[in-house]
Order: sequence, then structure tokens, then C-alpha cells
Amino acid sequence: MNDPYQVLGVPETATDAEVKKAYLNLARKYHPDNYHDNPLADLAQEKMKEINAAYEEINKRRSGRGSAGGAGGSAYGYGYGGGSSYQGGTSYRQGYGGYQQGYGRSSSSSVLQQVRMAINSGDLSRAEALLANYTDHNAEWNFLRGAVCYRRGWMDEAKRYYQTACQMEPGNAEYRQALDYMESGASGAYRPSGSPFGTEVCAANSMCLPLWCCVLPLCC
Amino acid sequence: MFGYVRPPLGQLPEEEQARFRAVYCGLCRTLGKRYGLAARFILNYDFTFLAILLSDGQEREAPCVRCPAHPLKKRACCPPDGAMELAADESVILAYWQLRDGVADHDWLHGLKYRSVSKVLEPAYRKAAAARPAFDESTRRQLRQLSELETEDCASMDRAADAFAALLAGAAKEVDDPVRQRVLEQLLYHLGRWIYLVDAADDLKKDARSGNYNPVALRYGLKDGAWTPESRHDFAQTLDHSIHMMATAFELWDFGCWRTILESTFYTGLFYVGGAVLDGTFQTAVRNRKKRKNVEDAT
Repeated sequence: MNDPYQVLGVPETATDAEVKKAYLNLARKYHPDNYHDNPLADLAQEKMKEINAAYEEINKRRSGRGSAGGAGGSAYGYGYGGGSSYQGGTSYRQGYGGYQQGYGRSSSSSVLQQVRMAINSGDLSRAEALLANYTDHNAEWNFLRGAVCYRRGWMDEAKRYYQTACQMEPGNAEYRQALDYMESGASGAYRPSGSPFGTEVCAANSMCLPLWCCVLPLCC
Repeated sequence: MFGYVRPPLGQLPEEEQARFRAVYCGLCRTLGKRYGLAARFILNYDFTFLAILLSDGQEREAPCVRCPAHPLKKRACCPPDGAMELAADESVILAYWQLRDGVADHDWLHGLKYRSVSKVLEPAYRKAAAARPAFDESTRRQLRQLSELETEDCASMDRAADAFAALLAGAAKEVDDPVRQRVLEQLLYHLGRWIYLVDAADDLKKDARSGNYNPVALRYGLKDGAWTPESRHDFAQTLDHSIHMMATAFELWDFGCWRTILESTFYTGLFYVGGAVLDGTFQTAVRNRKKRKNVEDAT
């Protein structure tokens, strides 16, 4: 295992509070909610494991040497798939239940069930082919088309398919959550400063940097 | 590649500004060394960014050298390495095909400047294409697809942006480490999507006048290149989703000494440039800066 202090990016002399702060920041960054439906979620999951292990290791060492209770208990049950969910944050999306569950809800047909499995395993071409051959373009079909688009990076189309799914089946919580997320424009996403994420938020905020910061000439 | 990707240099410490300048000068020098003076003129911020993303993140000594653009004062300049050469080769290929695209888009008279510049760049392009045949092939394919979509007035901005995004993602194909390659592909895909969409938004008014293809105007049915509040909001959100994808990819690889510059770009710089483009103030700001710089240079 790597040096746990290096993993959390703090010196060995850091106080318990500093260790905890560094841990919480990293946990927010690599949290499943920040990598929801992200094609790189598996890499984030690895990171999360590493951070949790490092934090637990530091706590173990510190409680062993008899400092006052270590940096504050064990890892927060942050994690991918199962486990307790994150409670302390501000605007994280709940639901969807992490990656293990992903698109695992029961489908109205066996073909759409296969589409969900293909999306979960990252095989988008197969999911697309199955959807293309499925003639009943019902709410779930639209939702899954949206999910494939999102993973491909086709954000605008994803949103439009989710909208159609919600119009066809307004009471469905799964479709609603997906659309809500698209309509929030990732505004709850991690940002190092903790301030809100977004083009409009930042551009409208005069506290943000003035434009000249970005167009500063190099050769002056 | 249009020069939209900018770190908020004014907000960064002097040390980071100097580092960015050194890689900018380093890429220019590498272009000059490998391809001659003409190739130096393709240099821009976006290509500099490509060089940073492809770099191994190791801090290197940047010796001070004189260059044709600044004969009086020596400048710190990152030495060429494998990553810098890769960035230079890919930049030449991208720049060349974009010029050819300009030739195809215009009639004989208006295509004149594209034709003459691409002629000048042709020997450099031949050499670069021979060095990176796979990237040349994929760039050519994606740009052909893009021009087909433009001809048929494709109203899906995702589809049009995809052609350009996939092209940029192709720049990661030459990277060896499989994790790094996945991270870079995702990052470059969304960087390409963002660049393409921001460029289209920046051209809304111009394209409305000339009647040229504009995927953003078609998607939202904009008249005279003016945003409606709803379409503007919706468009900003779709940009934010791409920035989020870039930021999440960025956090999964250790970019070494470039961490601060990249972090400030993905979490701040892109928001600001996008916001200025939506407000219609970006072009003016860049022009004013250039003007002021020319005055400073002259005095």
C-alpha cells in the first residue's frame, strides 16, 4: 500500500482535523454521485477505495499511539454500491444507489433488460444495437436511449430522451431523477473551492475572476 | 482549434504563469525545429493545452533562448521531448486539415487565403502525416464527416460536435498507458465538444448574417443569432455537463507539475470563457488585449 499520508496529500505532522478535512475533500471529489453514469466511474471507485483505506490506516496508527481518538472514527461509509449513503453533503443526488445497481431495475421486457445489462457493463454498441431493433418506443426505451447518449457524451440528446420518457410516464421516479440531473446542469458537481459549478453561475458572479484573467497575453 | 481554452493566468501565481509561458515557447520552438519557420505560425493556446495534456508532468529545466518573435529578450523555453514532439506533430496535422476545410468551405476567391497558407504548410504536414499516419487518417475521416453533416444542415448539435470531439480524442491514441489513454480520451472528447459548441455560439451573429451552417442556431431555432433566455440557459447547462466530464476525468490521472494550471482551467477558466461567449464579450476582450499588446510592443 502507498503511504497513506501521501494518498491524502497531507504531511505526517498534520493534525487530526487536517487529516479529516483532506479526507472529506477527496471523498467528495471521488464520490459516486460525482461520477454518476460516468464512463470512468470504475477508476473513481478505485481511487475511493485507496482513500478510504488510507484514512482508516492513519486512524489505526494514531489511535494505536494513543492520541486523542485518532482523526475521527472510521471511513464514512462513502463508497460505491451498497453501504450507507452520504448524509453530510449539500446537494448530492440521492437514489440510483451507486454503480452496482446502476440500471439494474426490472424492465418491462427481456430485451430492455439486456440493454440495461449492456449499459452496466459499458458495452454501449450492443445497447445501441438492441435499442435500434426494438420497435416499441415506450418510456423505458426513451430513458435507456438517453442513458446511452449520456455515456457517449451526447448530453443534449440525452436530456431530450429523458424528457420524452418523463412525458410518457410522469410518475416514474427513475426517469425523473435522470432528467432532474440533466436540468441541474451538474450544478452540484465537485469544485475545489466548494463554490457552485457552472458557466452561468460563474459568469454572473462578479466575485469570479474578470475576463482579462483569461485573455492575458503571454508575451508581455 | 480556435483559442478558447485558456487558463485564468491573471489569477495564477507568477510561477504558474512562467510555467505556462515556457511550454508555449517550447511548443513554438519544437514546431520550428521540426517543421521550419512557417509551422511556428500555427501556434495557439489550444495546441499549448494539448502539449500540456500529453506531457508526462515531470518538471524540467527550461533554459532561456532567443527566438525570431522575441529577438531582444531571452525567454524560458521547455526543451522538446517525446510528448512535445507528439503535440507538435498533431498540431500540424490539425492545423493543416482545418485550412483545407477552409478551402472547401469557400469559393475560389474567398478560399484564396486558406489555399495559400495551406500550401505553405504542406511540406510540414507531409512530414507530420508520415510520422503519425493513424492520427492523420482519423483527423481526415472526422473532418470529412463534419463537412458532410454541415452540408446536410444537421440539426443535432451533439452529432456535429461529436465529429470534432472524436477527432480531438484521437490525439490520445498515441499514449501507451491504458488508464492514461482512457482518461485523456474522455477529457479530450469533451474538450473537443466544448470547443466546437463554444465556437458555434461565438459565431451565431456572423453565421446569421452570412447564412452559414450553425448547429446551435439550428438546434434552438434562433433568429438573427440572438439567444432567448431559455435557450441560453439550456446551452450553458449542456456546456457544464461537458466541463464536469473533463473535470472528473482530469482528477483520475496525475498531471504532475501541470496540476494547478489544469485545475484552474477546468474549474474556472472554461466557465469564464463560455460565459463571455454567451454574453458576446469574448471577441471584444481578445481584440482589445491584442490591440493593447501591439501598442505596448510598439512603444
